Amino acid sequence: MSGIITVGMADFKTAKSPDLLMTAGLGSCIGICVYDPALKLGGMAHIMLPTSIGSQGGNPMKYADTALELMLRQILDMGASQSRLKAKIAGGAQMFSFPGKTPVLKIGDRNAEAVEQELKKHRIPLLVSDVGGSFGRTIHFNVATGELRIRTINHGEKVV
Amino acid sequence: MEVTQCQLDALREIGNIGSGHAATALSTLLQRRIDMSVPEVWAVPFEQITAIVGQLDTPQAVIYVKVEGDAPGKAVFFFPVESAGIVVQALFGTGEERDLFSDEMAQSALKEVGNILVSSFLIALTEFSGIPLQASVPALSVDMIGALLDAIFLEEGTLDDTVLFIDTQLSGLPKIEGQFIFLPDEGSLEKLLGAMGL
Repeated sequence: MSGIITVGMADFKTAKSPDLLMTAGLGSCIGICVYDPALKLGGMAHIMLPTSIGSQGGNPMKYADTALELMLRQILDMGASQSRLKAKIAGGAQMFSFPGKTPVLKIGDRNAEAVEQELKKHRIPLLVSDVGGSFGRTIHFNVATGELRIRTINHGEKVV
Repeated sequence: MEVTQCQLDALREIGNIGSGHAATALSTLLQRRIDMSVPEVWAVPFEQITAIVGQLDTPQAVIYVKVEGDAPGKAVFFFPVESAGIVVQALFGTGEERDLFSDEMAQSALKEVGNILVSSFLIALTEFSGIPLQASVPALSVDMIGALLDAIFLEEGTLDDTVLFIDTQLSGLPKIEGQFIFLPDEGSLEKLLGAMGL
């Protein structure tokens, strides 16, 4: 029997096959899935902001850099090999636009950029990046197969 | 900032008056009775908003207004999609179902509802505190509630660990439910409370 492990905002969870990881209602936030296909284990983080630099303490799982760092440590502790790790990400939308105003800071875009950079820094290949748009996403990740199911309200559902 | 019990009580009172005005305005607009819950005031880490909104991927119609003036902030009004549909039908008075995701008339009607609600709330807040506040043009999106709220609260790219909500539930017969959240920007709360001598 496989269970579904729910990841809250500013949190991460790890799982082993056959469990699934899921996070609901990603807007400008990003869900980062990292897994070791050989050992069929991995983790999912739900980050809210690009960088912990300049923030005063608080929850490290809120930021792309610190959350990924902490999650990787746990995945490696479970026996994963750094060189086998792969990543898939989703989220980073721009949910609102105000007429006549371009947003000064597109937080969704900045989150996506930061996550891509952090993955590069840790030399983890990014296989799928389903980011941007102006709609929310709920994601389910299967650590055994690497399948990422992305559900939206009005933009369909897909598995990547 | 640390919020004391006394300040929370004052905020609840603001919420009460503001939401009362808003409910009256909505009631007049829709020509039906709208009830209002006693507002709840929350000072919680943003990550815990699930406690307020429930399932993060439930589709809701969210009207977002920026509050401008000497004590800026954000005001958010949200309805479950079914309630939003009922509001739109009541406004047009035709009983015809409209697709909130694509129908521009329905969308602009909802924006207007948000505008009226938020403006009534701000008038109350201004009367109470003496600090002039205005509402920006409303933005509307119909999507997962969690996705919309994270975009609103993270928009400026910074976030206090604790955010403060004044949350009121509006409900009306037969089946209209909605929630209203006012979130003062950093520094605004001190100003509002200061103006009220707290």
